[in-house]
Amino acid sequence: MYRYDEFDAAFVRERTQQFSDQVRRRLSGDMSEDQFRPLRLMNGLYLQLHAYMLRIAVPYGTVSSRQMRMLAHIARSYDRGYGHFTTRQNIQFNWPKLRDIPQILADLASVEMHAIQTSGNCIRNITTDQFAGAAADEIIDPRPVAEILRQWSSLHPEFSFLPRKFKIAMTGATTDRAAIRFHDIGLQATTNDLGEIGWQVWVGGGLGRTPMIGKLLSGYVAHEHLLAYLESTLRVYNRYGRRDNKYKARIKILVHEEGIESIREQVEAEFAEVKGGVLTLPQAELDRISAYFAAPQYELVNARSVDVAREKILNPFYGRWLERNLNAHRQPGYVSVTISLKPVGGAPGDATDTQMEVVADLAQRYSFDELRVTHEQNLVLPHVKVTDLPAIYEVLVKNGLADGNAGQITDIICCPGLDFCALANARSIPIAQELTRKFESPERQAEIGDLKIKISGCINACGHHHVGHIGILGVEKKGTELYQITVGGDATEKAAIGDILGHGFVAEEVPNAIERLVNTYIARRESPAEPFIAAYRRLGKEPFKEALYGAN
Amino acid sequence: MEILTGNELMSGATVYLDSAGTWVEELQKARVFGKSDLEAKEAAIAATKRTGRINSLEVETVTVKDGRIVPDRLREHIRATGPTAPVFDRQHLDEDGHVSI
Ligand code: SF4
Repeated sequence: MYRYDEFDAAFVRERTQQFSDQVRRRLSGDMSEDQFRPLRLMNGLYLQLHAYMLRIAVPYGTVSSRQMRMLAHIARSYDRGYGHFTTRQNIQFNWPKLRDIPQILADLASVEMHAIQTSGNCIRNITTDQFAGAAADEIIDPRPVAEILRQWSSLHPEFSFLPRKFKIAMTGATTDRAAIRFHDIGLQATTNDLGEIGWQVWVGGGLGRTPMIGKLLSGYVAHEHLLAYLESTLRVYNRYGRRDNKYKARIKILVHEEGIESIREQVEAEFAEVKGGVLTLPQAELDRISAYFAAPQYELVNARSVDVAREKILNPFYGRWLERNLNAHRQPGYVSVTISLKPVGGAPGDATDTQMEVVADLAQRYSFDELRVTHEQNLVLPHVKVTDLPAIYEVLVKNGLADGNAGQITDIICCPGLDFCALANARSIPIAQELTRKFESPERQAEIGDLKIKISGCINACGHHHVGHIGILGVEKKGTELYQITVGGDATEKAAIGDILGHGFVAEEVPNAIERLVNTYIARRESPAEPFIAAYRRLGKEPFKEALYGAN
Repeated sequence: MEILTGNELMSGATVYLDSAGTWVEELQKARVFGKSDLEAKEAAIAATKRTGRINSLEVETVTVKDGRIVPDRLREHIRATGPTAPVFDRQHLDEDGHVSI
């Protein structure tokens, strides 16, 4: 993992002291809320419905045991004993008090964490594949480049007041697990004709009010020029992005209105100016950063795989967990383990302080001290020996973390919604809870197979509903919460935005409506090997529309 | 009919302006402003702003039913009582969180 150098440490320490003084001045009345608000937001501190909310950055979703223990400590000491992991691989605390924030930030700084740039019209936390550096299908570990981008984008003087927030996601694997086509910029590792590894650059993707699939800006940018290329892209956006209308200010609108060719022309012209200049990344620097992400000292092990079929007979719960929650690792005898934060009836993405401690202990003991936060609001032990799986499972069972449902219908992405969020139109967590209860049976979940449900409490789409195989958007109509259902979204490399099939449903009707969609899929699929999303693509909207609204 | 609501500076807790000019936790103690109370409402808003201690100050419409104040928006019901899922008690004021105008 990356460790702060002296510059990083001093910078975060100074920022913490600076904000501490700003809080003091706010509390003493020397500063008004109008003056204080932008300062607190720059430090990740929002004011929500019931209390302040502190959003802490987890750079590219990677966190150490020590850091996770600190998050547990913050949950326990300053909050209500839990934290909420988000779709941006961050963590949010929902109940901190203003006077405690300076100490929380100081505690975070002591483990090389902060909350800077988790709000505001700047470049936000760079997200990536939760299996980065471990996945068998990876061309390259994207985290060294993600770290370089983090350093480049932190307090970038030119890009601290962009027309709107800016989100970058990247993946080094062929399978897109980071939803890169739905970010302002998406980076995908690729090779050129000479077999050298570089980056495809996608631009103008996004969710929210105007969902858009990113467009290919460049098919190949070498590592050494990536910073110059991104700087050129941001510069074009900063110059031409709309500042007159908040809803049209994201780069996706600029790309849509101007056309990708025109944007490419502008970016290339800018790139021609800056290429080869100060932003050229020397190989030595890339090597230096890459060293922080060197593969751990794996053991050479005899046991290379787990007999899942056998385990399913011996212990169906364990067997199912093995079947669903493991991801193939590049190192023989190792796997990545998804720890589900989606228990039946729970709030997706929430973990208690005790659970955080437990997971930190597991990481220390079994995964080289490393953890990941996924954009699907789960946690991951990235490097686990297959022989350690039974011991890990046992601990997870004792701590309510052993749901074997990764990628299944109960593994729901869900934003905080109207229970917490000041921008919400409708509640989202109760819908997720009801759906997990409805589809609680492991046998039923296995029968359904891969199916991603994503729920947002407003059109801002933090719950990624547009790209759910089934998406649920909460809206408010005449004082009633209504839920708009979309079908056919896909956040992967087969990127698709879900189709709205008709009117919304009241909350009580949602579980049955979803069940009708599921039953239609099961009745019409070619075989159990055809997943929901594939069946939807083959069958089209009609059968699903009929399932929701009846025949015309 | 309307009430004034906001979030107290220190705790962020949801608070309501009562008839004595104090910002309190209980929705049922909120001062209800009728159509003829426009001036009083504006004065209360101005005085509240001067304290610098109440954020996200908003005017919310309510109905009074059987002597109880019922906010028109679901959002306000949730603000008054706390999250419904997972169920948490609402945020409370600290000792030093009591604000009067
Ligand atoms: S989608 Fe809307 S309701 Fe949900 S967290 Fe984002 S802003 Fe809040």
